[in-house]
Formats: sequence, structure tokens, C-alpha cells
Amino acid sequence: MKTRTGIIRDFDSKTLGVKIGLMAVYAVCGLVVVVSLFPVFWVLMAGFKDLREYVSSTAILPETFNFSRYTGTWTQLNVVRNYINSFYAIAGSVVCSLFFNGLLAYGLAILKPRGYKTVGRLVMASLLIPATMSLVPLFINIQRLNMGGFFTPLWLAAGASAFTVILFRQFFESLPLSIIEAGRIDGCSQLQTFFKIVMPLSKPICVVVTIFTINGVWSDFLLPYLVLGHGRWQTVMVRLFIFSTQQTINYDDLMRAVVFSMIPPIVLFFVFQKKLTENIVTVGIKG
Amino acid sequence: MNRLRGSVKWKQQAVSWLIMLPGISLFAFFLWGPLLQGARMSLYRTRNIELVEFVGFDNYISVFRRHEFLQALGNTFTYTFWSLLIGFLIPIFLALLIGETVRGKGFIRTAAYVPNVLPGLAAVLLWSAFFSAERAGVVNILLGRLGMEPMAFLSEEHLVIPIIVVIATWKGAGATALIYMAGLAGINPQLYESATIDGAGIWKRIRHITLPAIFNLGSTLLILQIISIFQIMYEPLVLTKGGPDNASLSLMLLMWRYAFGGTMDYGRASAVAMIIAIILLGFTALYSVVNRRKIDWE
Amino acid sequence: MKKRVRLLAVLAALTMLLTACATETTAPSPDSGGDPSPSPDTPPELGGISVDVIDADLTATITLGNWPPDTAPAAELALFEGYKATMAMQYPNVTIVPAYYSYTLSNYIGMARGGTAPTLFQPPFTDPQLLIGQDLVADVTDALGQFGILDKFSPAFIDLLGDENGRIYGLPRDGYVLGMHININLFEEAGLMDDNGLPMYPKTLQELAETGQIIRERTGKAGLVFPASETYGGWLYTNIAWNFGAVGENALLKQDADGRWLVDFTSEPAVAAMEYLKSLRWEYNILNADATTTDWASAHTLLGTGEAAMNFAADDSVDQPTAGKGLPVDKFALIPIPAGPGGAYALTGGTCYMFAPDTTNEQAMATLGFLKLIGMLPFADDDAIASMRAGAASKRERGEPVLPPIPAWNDDVFITAQRDIAEEYSNVDWRLYQDFFNSFTDGTITLKGEEPVLAQQLYRELTAVIQRVITREDADVLSALQRAQNNFQEDVDDIINR
Repeated sequence: MKTRTGIIRDFDSKTLGVKIGLMAVYAVCGLVVVVSLFPVFWVLMAGFKDLREYVSSTAILPETFNFSRYTGTWTQLNVVRNYINSFYAIAGSVVCSLFFNGLLAYGLAILKPRGYKTVGRLVMASLLIPATMSLVPLFINIQRLNMGGFFTPLWLAAGASAFTVILFRQFFESLPLSIIEAGRIDGCSQLQTFFKIVMPLSKPICVVVTIFTINGVWSDFLLPYLVLGHGRWQTVMVRLFIFSTQQTINYDDLMRAVVFSMIPPIVLFFVFQKKLTENIVTVGIKG
Repeated sequence: MNRLRGSVKWKQQAVSWLIMLPGISLFAFFLWGPLLQGARMSLYRTRNIELVEFVGFDNYISVFRRHEFLQALGNTFTYTFWSLLIGFLIPIFLALLIGETVRGKGFIRTAAYVPNVLPGLAAVLLWSAFFSAERAGVVNILLGRLGMEPMAFLSEEHLVIPIIVVIATWKGAGATALIYMAGLAGINPQLYESATIDGAGIWKRIRHITLPAIFNLGSTLLILQIISIFQIMYEPLVLTKGGPDNASLSLMLLMWRYAFGGTMDYGRASAVAMIIAIILLGFTALYSVVNRRKIDWE
Repeated sequence: MKKRVRLLAVLAALTMLLTACATETTAPSPDSGGDPSPSPDTPPELGGISVDVIDADLTATITLGNWPPDTAPAAELALFEGYKATMAMQYPNVTIVPAYYSYTLSNYIGMARGGTAPTLFQPPFTDPQLLIGQDLVADVTDALGQFGILDKFSPAFIDLLGDENGRIYGLPRDGYVLGMHININLFEEAGLMDDNGLPMYPKTLQELAETGQIIRERTGKAGLVFPASETYGGWLYTNIAWNFGAVGENALLKQDADGRWLVDFTSEPAVAAMEYLKSLRWEYNILNADATTTDWASAHTLLGTGEAAMNFAADDSVDQPTAGKGLPVDKFALIPIPAGPGGAYALTGGTCYMFAPDTTNEQAMATLGFLKLIGMLPFADDDAIASMRAGAASKRERGEPVLPPIPAWNDDVFITAQRDIAEEYSNVDWRLYQDFFNSFTDGTITLKGEEPVLAQQLYRELTAVIQRVITREDADVLSALQRAQNNFQEDVDDIINR
């Protein structure tokens, strides 16, 4: 039997009050599970309904489990194409996020050239700048450089994430300096040190950053919408956003589109669940 | 490292800066530059994206005279209030509760985290179906089964902000709780043991050991929470468009409305953006004063 | 004021066109909507179109924002694929990129700036002057001239779509008139059918409230779906206010002797109209439950799926509740907007075609070629007729009412051809539509354009008032309108009267 690791200890759990308390804890936790999962279950069920049933029926379960409704919306919206586009957006963003943010954090945490503190403060302050706040001027700049219509601005934007830089920086600062020093003595240049010593030691943080980036890029739609627009590279969320604002929309189709936009992150989450929760816990301790 | 060496060659300095340069330029292009441009824009009368004439603080004055701005300002503080009441406390409770479970702990933790992996837009579309007042509104269906009267949730001016905060909390609480759980796991178990020996009951242990242990973590997450709730935008945009009668209009949504709501009033929009930034800076300053310690600005 | 004059001219032209069209129209007989013959996948009507090369040298790639969304019915998409194939034969070096695009001013600005705007897009009549003034659309005068349609513009449209130098930036597509959509199923259920089997629809706003109440009591469904989110509610309110008499010296917006625009939301008719909306919620209780978050899509959905019996909507969206949301075409009716104590007005407006700012002359020519092919240009040659037939057949196939379009060009032959085809393919009981179409030709209803300045902000302010009075029983109508008036007057002073 596992031992209690919380506030209530094994030696507490004998008295009646504590037993009732523990039951209450489990009851509330049960409620949390239901509240967390029920909406997801509901939307899966709603996707089996047609428009009339969706609008008029008060039953949670559909009248029939008609998979052809899902496949119909799937082909009609050409979801595969959007999935592939989202994959491109994510792949480039992950590379940029690891590379640019990592290098900057490396400079701030280890190289520390004269004046680095100013940059560090600016990066911290960027956390306070709402991304949407600079949307208009940013968009104008992207257009001036004629980068609209393709992923490039989105990829590069992933390379300017204050949060990621701070995560990297905290991790790098915890690395033992002696190892890095040793590398330098072996004749590694500063850049080589980063790739050959620092990064290999930073796998946990790279995993976290990768997961955060995947999640963020998959979910983002405002900047992608402005950059990719109605063109051929639109991602799943851009598609969903455009779809949800169409005047010709059918709500049953919309719910199926919502399901399609949720499936990959949920699958990914369950595949990497353990890694994710573990790593967040370790990163969380530092933060 | 340069400090270790005493004298540092300029070349090494230059190489270090060169290594940081790509990242710095991206920050300049995507964050700092646009912010400065926005600040400048807020002082101009604009026509489309062009700056037409310098008008000083006219945009700010005109914004402060608008009743929807005052509404949005008040609403944003209402959002903050509810988000502190609901959004801040629930993850702490959740972390404490999950920490007390033994059997099924992993499952509960995972389930609570699931909403966090859903795309925000999808989650809001999902919840708009839940809180719909029409026949198929799920919350009303559930209330109806409990014998309660249906409600027009998103039409109630006093309900709409708490509801949006609940939705945001639903999405974020599991992830935040995980961070607290990490903090709780770091508590030395012997502290509990010795406290118990000293006769401390469960409540005393919570008050004197558990809560102090996550106090710093909590205050950091608090300021992050305020910053994020101040930027709330797409939730009310998708759910209510800021209605009814601007009751859920946030400052950020007002900025969006000025910029993209058909009038292209980028001058006013930038003024609102600057006001948000100033308020957030104020919060951070207040936080560091109250906390008697600056947050790690470097 | 120039702007005022221009709008009046447009309205005059539109009214004239509508009247001209409808007086020539003898209504199709009720039985003309007999048996629709089953159509195969590709519209056979397109078979007649000549596939001869029209211009082998014209080389261009055009993105067409008027393409149907990929959520559109298969028949409509097939039709456009057919057009595309035909274009490939007529203009072998023109590449068509389908790009469904739902225009809004805000999303267009960004796309135009970024060079991602589609070559062809469809803004409402309220926007061209703004877009032209900001250089966000292309000058297509030369292409229109080369195509030989410049002289078919009515002067009003030249005013609307041109600048002060006489350059033209677009062309008219169609017009609309606001009326009401009716779900006949609910009228039947509520016992509101006359001896001829026609719904006893409301002729006045008072009757609308009472009819709605009967429907609510007998069916439990909403009598009226009222989209009161964002700007929609204010848009509908202006029409209701006109019918209460908020026109002329009581107009919501009027100019004083110095040309300064004055806002008047607190005139007696304006207040009465808002009190009326309030009573629809608190006295008659006929509104749908979620009016404050209802937009067009949900309004059409509620009407089409039988959750609401009536909806303020125009003739250009009859496809939405029927083909879109599944209401059988014989259970749908389009009626004139109910009259009020101060008159009977119906809001009118329209849509035009405009071109992305970077459109070249070649692209413009190719796009005009496409518009000609789909029967949107005033040509009544065999190809155009075949296209119009294909369009009508496709509408009938997907269960959308085939109605005579409200025309946009000053060309009798073209208008007659359109009307004849609508008659030939009719799938509706004309009695369910004739009152609507007759109302603006026999003078029972006066057509009126949108409020002249800053319409979107005006709608937004008024929508907020509507949201207030339908969510709070104790709301004070006059003070809410007063607040909106002050707020909007400031906007007008800032932007227009400066």
C-alpha cells in the first residue's frame, strides 16, 4: 500500500473525522474529473448529431452513432490539408524556438557579455507586453517586408518568446559551471560549447519548451490568421476561426470541426503525458 | 564566466553578443519595435495605417471621455476580482486535494490537466454551446434535470464576467495546480511529522507549514494571473462580443474593437493598449513594493 | 454634402431599378414551380456554353473571393467547378484560384495591405467610398471600357463606385430589400393559416407582437428571432424606428443648416420604437432566449430548424434557412416588413464587386470574363443565358427558393432574361413571395437606404441599448437612448463634423 504524502498522514487516517474528510476529498476530486472531462465527452457526442437534432434535442447522447457525419465534415472541410499545414507551422516553430531562444538564454545565463543585464530586463519586461497589443504594428512590419502568406513570420515569432528564454535561462544557470568550463578548456568555441555541452545537458527543458511550443502554435489563431489569411497554408485553428465566423455556418459542422481541432493535442498529451507532468513539476520547482 | 577570468578579450565579448544577436533582433522585430510604434501611433491621428498628424494626448483624452472605455476599465477590474476569487484559489485547492489522494492520483491529475491541452478557441466555442440559452444549451438542460428554471447566462450583466472567468479557470486550473503540487512535493515531510508530535492538527499543519511553503510560488503566480486576465480578449469576443450592453467588454477587446471593429481607429486603439501597459506596470511595481523584494528582473 | 448626395443618388437608382424590374414582371403563376427535373452532377445547362477560345493570349492568375465556401452544398460547388472548367477552355492561360472569402471591412484592410486579398471580393454598398479613399482597391476603368460595359452603369453607380476623377473601381452585383422570413410549420402548428392555406402573417408591428405571442403560447417556440449581438440589432432597429416615424425631422441622423450632423435617438418615435422592442421581451415575450448573442448564422439556424417562427431578413438570404438549415422550400415564406404607426419603410442596400489593390489590367480582364460567364454582367447572349439557367437549376436542386433577382444593371434585355429564367425554374408557391415583391412597386412600402454616416458605430451604440432593454426589465429606455446619443454624437463630431 502507498503511503500518504500530503498533509494528512497515515497516522491521522484512523479517526472518524479524518475518514469523512478523506471521503469528501475524493468526492470533490471526482467532481473535478467529471467537470474536466464531461465537456470533451459532450462535444464528441454532439458531433454525431445533425443540425436539427443539435438545435432541438435536449438529449446528451445522439439518436444514432452515425460516423458518416464526422467523415462528411472531415472531407468537406478538407481537414487533412489543414493538419499538414499545422504540422509545418509547428515543426518550424519548434526549431526556431529552441535555437533562437536557447542561444539568447545561453548568452544571458552563461556568456554574460558586458551589458547583458539590460537585455535580460528587456526580455523580462516583454512578459508584460500583451502579444495582441503589438499586433497592428507588427502586422504592418510583416507586410512591409513582404513576408505575408507563408509561415516564415510565425516560425520566427516563435524565436522571440520571453517565457521560453526565461525557462532556458533558469535551467542554464543551474548547470554546473565546471562542466562548461571544461568544455572551454578543451578548445570549444562559445558556439560549440552551446551545441556540444549545454544543449545535450538541457534535454528536460528542451522537452518542455517543445511541448509548450507545439501546444501554443497549434492553438494560436490571431497572428496566423493575419499572416496566412484565406490562403492555401491556413492551419487548423485559422480554419476553425474563419469557419466559426462564417454566416453560412452549420453548428453541427462547427462542433465536428471543434473535435478535429482537439484530437491531435489530446492524443499527443496522452502519449507524452508522463514526460510532460514530470517535466513541468521539475521546471515548476525551479520557477 | 567572463567574471571568472578577470580580463576578458573584446573579441570574446563580440562573439557573445553575436551569439545573442539573432534572438535580440527577433525580439526587436516582434515585440519591442511594434510596442514603440504603438506608443508613437497613440499620439497621432491615424488614417488607415498612416499617421496623419501629431495630436499629443488627444487620443487618450477622447478615450477617457468614452463611456464604453470607462465600462471596459471597470469590467477589467471586475474580471481581475473574479479571477482572483475563482481562478487563483481553485488551483491551490485542487493541488491540496489531489495531494491528499492516494488511489487514482495520477488519473485525477491527468483529467484535471486535459482542458489545458485543448486549443483556446475550441474550448470557448465548446463552452458557448454549454451556456447557450436556446433549447440545446447544455447547462440549462442539466439544470432542467435538477428541476431548475433555464437561465440566459450570457445575457445577465452580473453573471457574464464570472462565467467567462469560470471558463478560463476550467481551462487553466489543472496546469496551475500541477505547479503548486510540485511546490508541495518539495516540503520536507519531517516538518509534518514533528509538527504532529508537537500536537498540531491538520488545519494547523496547513496554516503553518503548507501555505507558507507555497507563499512565494503563489505570489508569483498571482502576478502572472493578473497580467494574463488583463489581456483577456478572445473569450468575450467569441462568447458575447462584449455584450450585453458592454457588460463583458474588456480593455483588450475594446482595443480590438477600435482597431478591427470597422472604424480602423488605430490611434485610439494604441492609446488603449498603452493604458493597459501602464496599468500592468503599476501592478508589477505595487507587487514588488508589497513583497519587499523585486521580482527577478535580470 | 457630397456624401449625402451620392447616397441619395444610389438610393434613387436602386429604387428605379427595382421598380422597373418589378413592374415589368408579371408574377410567375403559382403552378410554375411544378416538378423539378432531377439534375445530374454536372449542370446540363452548362453544356450549351461555347467552349471556343475567347482570348488565348490573356495570361493571368486570379483568386476569386466569390467562390462558394467548401461547406456549400455540393450542387453549388459542382456548378463553380463547371464554370472553372469552362473558363479553362475560353481563356487557356488564365488560372483560377478559388478562394472563398467572407468580406468584412476589418479583415479586408489587413489582407489588402498584406497583398493577400483575393483579386475579386464583394463588399456591401456602404464601403466602396471608404476603400477607394484609402487606396485599398484597384482602378478597373480601362478593363470595364475594354469589356464594353462602362456605358451600362447607371450614373448613381458611377458615383458610388468611382472617385472624383471619374475612375471606376468596381461594379454592382445585386441589391436587397429587408423583409421577414417565415417558418410556415410553426404558423400551421399555431393555427395561423387562412382558408387558402397561406400563413396569416403580421402586416403591422403590433400584429407582429400579437402573432408572435400566439405562436409562443401554442407552440412554445420563439415568435421572433432577433439577432441583437454586436451591430445587427441596431441595424434592424433603424428600420423599426423609421416605421415608428423616425424620419424627416425626427430622423436618427440629420444635418443642420451648417451641414453639421446631429444625432437624435430621443425623438418620440425613436423612443417608441425602443419601447416596442422592450415590450417584445417583457410584455409579449416573443424573442428567442439568447437574443444578445444571436448573429445572422444563429438567426437563420433558429428559423430554419423551427425554433423560431419569424426573422427580419432580406431576399438575398432566402437560401440560408432553406437550403442551408434544412427548412423545406414549401414551408418558407418571404413577407414585407410590417408597417408601424409612423409609416412603412424597408431598408435597402446591395453588394458590389471590387478588386484587390494590386490587380493588373490582365487580371481585371480575366475576372470580368469570369463574371460574364457566371451571368453577373449585363450580357444576355447564349452563354450568359446558359449560365443563368445553370445557376437557377442549381438553386432549385439544393432546395433554395428560385426568385427573380433584384437587378444591378441598367439593361432591359438582361433584366428580362433574368426574370424569365427565374420563372422557368421556379420552385416556390409565388403567393408566399408576391406581397414582398409587390410591396415596393405598388408603393405600400418605401425603400430607404442605410443611415448616412458612420452606420456601423451607430448600429453598435443602438445594439448596446437594445441589449440593455431586453435584458433588464427595469431599464429606462429614454436614459439609455440619451447615453447612446451623447456617445455617438461625440463620434460624429470627432470624425465627421470636425
